[in-house]
Amino acid sequence: MSENSTATTSRGVPVEDPTPFGWLTTTDHKRTGRLFIVSSMLFLVVGIFLDLLVRLDLTSATDFVSLGRDGFAQGFTFSREALTLLFLIPAFLGVAIYMVPLQIGAPNLAFPRAATASFWAWKVSGVVLIGSYIGNGGPYGGWANGVDLHLLALSGLVISLLLGSIAVATTVMTMRSPGLYLDTTPPFAWSALVSASMLVVSLPVLLGQIGILYIDHRYGRVFLAGNYGIWERIDWIHRTPQLFIYVVPILGVTAEIVLATAKRRVFEPLAMYFTLGLVGLFGFGAWANFSVTGEGADIIDGLEGVVLVGLYGGALLGTAGLLGLLGLALIQNREMPKVSTSLLAALGAGTLVLFGALYGLIGAAADWLEIAGRGNDGNPQLRMTTWVTGQQSVLIYGAGLLGLLAAVHWWAPKIWGRELNDLLGILNFLVIGGGALLAFLGPALSGLFTEQPDFVYGDPNATAIYASWVDDTGAETFSAIGVAGVVILLGGVALLLLNLLISVGMKKGIEADEDPWTAQSPEWMLPSPPPIGQPDQLPTLVSGTPLLDAAEAEEAAV
Amino acid sequence: MTGTTPTLASGGPQRPRAQLVATGFACAACSMMMAGALGLYMARRHASGPHPGHDWLNGLAVPNPQLVYALLTLVASMVTAHWALWASRRRDSAHAWTAIATTIVLGLGFINMVMYSLNRMGLEIGAGEYQNLAFATTGLALAIVVVGLLYIGLMGLRSLGGSVGQQGSTALGAAVFFWDFAVLAWAVTWYTVYVVK
Repeated sequence: MSENSTATTSRGVPVEDPTPFGWLTTTDHKRTGRLFIVSSMLFLVVGIFLDLLVRLDLTSATDFVSLGRDGFAQGFTFSREALTLLFLIPAFLGVAIYMVPLQIGAPNLAFPRAATASFWAWKVSGVVLIGSYIGNGGPYGGWANGVDLHLLALSGLVISLLLGSIAVATTVMTMRSPGLYLDTTPPFAWSALVSASMLVVSLPVLLGQIGILYIDHRYGRVFLAGNYGIWERIDWIHRTPQLFIYVVPILGVTAEIVLATAKRRVFEPLAMYFTLGLVGLFGFGAWANFSVTGEGADIIDGLEGVVLVGLYGGALLGTAGLLGLLGLALIQNREMPKVSTSLLAALGAGTLVLFGALYGLIGAAADWLEIAGRGNDGNPQLRMTTWVTGQQSVLIYGAGLLGLLAAVHWWAPKIWGRELNDLLGILNFLVIGGGALLAFLGPALSGLFTEQPDFVYGDPNATAIYASWVDDTGAETFSAIGVAGVVILLGGVALLLLNLLISVGMKKGIEADEDPWTAQSPEWMLPSPPPIGQPDQLPTLVSGTPLLDAAEAEEAAV
Repeated sequence: MTGTTPTLASGGPQRPRAQLVATGFACAACSMMMAGALGLYMARRHASGPHPGHDWLNGLAVPNPQLVYALLTLVASMVTAHWALWASRRRDSAHAWTAIATTIVLGLGFINMVMYSLNRMGLEIGAGEYQNLAFATTGLALAIVVVGLLYIGLMGLRSLGGSVGQQGSTALGAAVFFWDFAVLAWAVTWYTVYVVK
């Protein structure tokens, strides 16, 4: 049933108001989830475009060619904030807000009004953040009130994302269908719980930091070197290991799609939940290094090095374990799995998370063990070079975008009632995959061979350092590779939006029935899409794979 | 089109402790916020020089007795908050109302005492590193206390406005849980910023 077509359902239950006021005050998690997903995609375009400008600046040996010397630092910080706080976290929070209640048999989210408030607060804060940068605010900005405004917008973003995370985590903890336990919950719902819980215990650290930074910046600038001291204390939220917390839901999407395609249960369910938890757990602790000690520009060695290597190692172990379990499920399947956009993108995203963890481990180990003189004789550690940008590209562009592609293609029938065009989807997978590869390779090689700095914290002449670095080191070529990758990625996002426009907006996509993929988790027992404005009615669940249970029972009966 | 935005019916398998669990998550978030702020405070304190031997407080004298009284007031409000919860579980509206009102009065008294102490101390924002850090960390801890007061007040009204039922006392229980946490958060802040300094 279309939400616009009728005023009431056949049972007389009123549908929600389709006017803008209805969207503003909705109490339906499905609307809130859609708002988050679509808005984060639009903010993603802003983030990628800014990253493109930043990378373009690094392609010239003589001067910055796009943002210029005054705008480079702000462009850099803006792009990182847009890619994490305006895209990666809210996109998968949106998917979780939409899908989690359906997956666990809950009639709605635990606190639907809180989730709606979370979306609008996030949206408004995002717009204010953009406005603060436009007004020459933000870290390294020249407008003092704009710098303060940026800090307020940042705290608004954190509070709103926390509110949404608490709503999701509480839903999984307390609103599961009777008989559905945590160890039988569908993998995406579990991954949403892990990620939301870890966000709840990590992002507030930033809030505490912002409280102090705001007071100090606004009143006296006693210990904070003006607006130049801000970024080094908040940069940890855009770096690994913190990034691992953001990608846990992507691993959940991968598990969901691979298991459903293989038509198998995972070999050892508890191991799957454990490995997902492990990745989230080992994402915790970035704040202790960067924000509290403020040692972003210093050398990491000794215990700090061991801890970093341990965190990357743990995340690697968790991801490898999960992918191993999913691989077993695929192998056990006697039939060749149907190749689809969602399967390809899910496998690609999972593999890139694994690669991101391995890459981080190699970099941290090289820094810690001082391989090739890293950290000695003026050689910067890898973590202070564009090696880090490479890792961000793998996790945000590679895993993040492919994960979103997989989730949107897989759950489009449940969200919009139509399948997306699969041929366009596979092309989209190739474009995003290729773009992410180049966007990663450029900075990774540059960091490794030219030691081009990632970002120079607190240095008023940072832009000059960048420009001088590019000269005669080959970094120009590597930066150009990165630029090509980001341009291709922009094309990939445009393709995804085009597919949504054609398949959903213009209604060219195939109308989906309840379970178009012959999947296994509970949401596929509901109509596609479940009617807006009504509680999601599922029978009492005793398993996270009711459709697979039913298929097996039918097979056994035959 | 109905022209209104009806509330989505809840029901089904909702379990009763959602509010308590969400409050637990909120407490975890607030404790990490304080950890971040106090961590930065301690890092800056450590970097400022040896203690003693360095005038970290820039000549300020902390009014210890007043701040201890403020803490004791807050601890007393914990007792009255639990009294309110105990009474609401026994469906004793009169006692529950009295206890909630006492808790709120004690909470407001605490805020007044802290503001008085800071005034007496001459803590001026922007005057030095300690002043800014103390102002920010104290402000964050006070914000948690204010949220706790509002939460207790709202849940008190919600649970006692009609009749005191099981659901109402669960909501009040969540608020009391947050209040306990707020007291703890203040105690840790007070010890770090005004005792250890």
